[in-house]
Amino acid sequence: MTFTQQLGFFLRSFFLQTGWNYLKYQNLGLFFVMWPFLKRLYATDPDAIPSVVTRYLSTFNTQPVMASFCFGALARQEEFLAQAQNMAQFNEEFAEWNSIKRGLSITTASIGDRLFWGTLKPCTLLLALFIWILLKINVFEITPQPQPPLAYTFLACIAAFVAFNTLALFVKWRGLRISYTADEQACFGLTQFDWNRTIYNAKKIGLVLVVGMILFGMYNYLKAFNATDLQFITRAIIVLFFICISFVTQRLRIPNMYLYLLSAMIFNIVCYL
Amino acid sequence: MTIELLLLCTLAALLELDTTYVFQLTFSRGLIAGPIFACLSGDWVAGIQAGVFTELLFADVNPLGTILPPSAVVCCAVSLGLHMGGTEMCLSFIWGVLGALLFSFVEQHMRRVRANLLGMWENKIMQRPSYIKRVMLMELSGSFLVTFVFLLLFTWGAGQIMLWLQPHISVRALFACRFAYMAVPWIGLASLLPEFRLKRR
Repeated sequence: MTFTQQLGFFLRSFFLQTGWNYLKYQNLGLFFVMWPFLKRLYATDPDAIPSVVTRYLSTFNTQPVMASFCFGALARQEEFLAQAQNMAQFNEEFAEWNSIKRGLSITTASIGDRLFWGTLKPCTLLLALFIWILLKINVFEITPQPQPPLAYTFLACIAAFVAFNTLALFVKWRGLRISYTADEQACFGLTQFDWNRTIYNAKKIGLVLVVGMILFGMYNYLKAFNATDLQFITRAIIVLFFICISFVTQRLRIPNMYLYLLSAMIFNIVCYL
Repeated sequence: MTIELLLLCTLAALLELDTTYVFQLTFSRGLIAGPIFACLSGDWVAGIQAGVFTELLFADVNPLGTILPPSAVVCCAVSLGLHMGGTEMCLSFIWGVLGALLFSFVEQHMRRVRANLLGMWENKIMQRPSYIKRVMLMELSGSFLVTFVFLLLFTWGAGQIMLWLQPHISVRALFACRFAYMAVPWIGLASLLPEFRLKRR
């Protein structure tokens, strides 16, 4: 894979989810990413193009960052398919192509969802929260506060953005190259990274950050402690109540937003009693 | 309808494309979208708060498989749009969450419509593979337009309701909404704890 080809795949991969639909998911996106490569590969054999287009327009769904592993592996396998000397070899290579498209997309989706959506995204949110707190912007306080400088506002956003995208774009770029060069034995390059260890360590950092944030939030309320302050007591009760109730709703798989809307309704009823 | 509202809806519709359709570079996160929208009003604290609260509230729903989380961009845009119009954040945030929920249904409908059009597009692509570029362009512009119209109508409608409702909102109701709003980061942080539970393989 040349640098230009890799760059082409990389840039087009940002459009993988354009045309996402409930019938074949990312099929249009996959075809959009692969088309320039396929056009070049079959330039001398235009008769093969309709069947190639049909294959790439079939169902495809994976995590957008990790999808680069599928693109590289599919491109490599497509070259083998194009070079098949007879029908038996073609069928063999086609079976392999099919298993890559199905199997690899499921594996990469599982890793990507756990790493990027389940761990890295909340970790970068907590990182931004800590930066804002260090810059004396208290996000827990709902009473009016002085306006922070513009640079302070965007510093945390930029930090979260850079932290998330550095890893995501690195995996996207490297994934294309290593999945193109690695074979099935190396799981198309997936084994070059220790995903489970990365996720485990990221979760460990996330756990420390979230506990730290909860402790900071509690300290923020406790520092103004006054036993006779009714508002303080009410706030403390509400905070503890919601931390406990949130664990219950998590177990019942009730999304947070319904808990919030319900609490707004209940508080209104209580206030009118 | 002010120029600020039109600008807000345009910006939000552009950022919303990042959620699913193009890039996924996290411009559409509440954390980033909130402060960007605050550029229109200059109220940075409200922008940061809307962004952080949105992200914490929606932290328990991830886009796994076909799951469609509520849009953080819509929630921030509606909340800050109403706040720019003079509504208190604790009230406008409720509208923001409702808007994000409603937008999920609109998005689901768009995806169903797209699935119905898929056969026609595939035929055209089969005949002329380069037609895929036109399909992608139509998809992007269609999504932008639907999001823009939804945001404009919803924010404008909610603003009109709040204009009529605000004089009738009692102090008690305002307190109740403030307490619920105050609980949002705690609901979010508590839900992140199980997300980070450690399981060694």
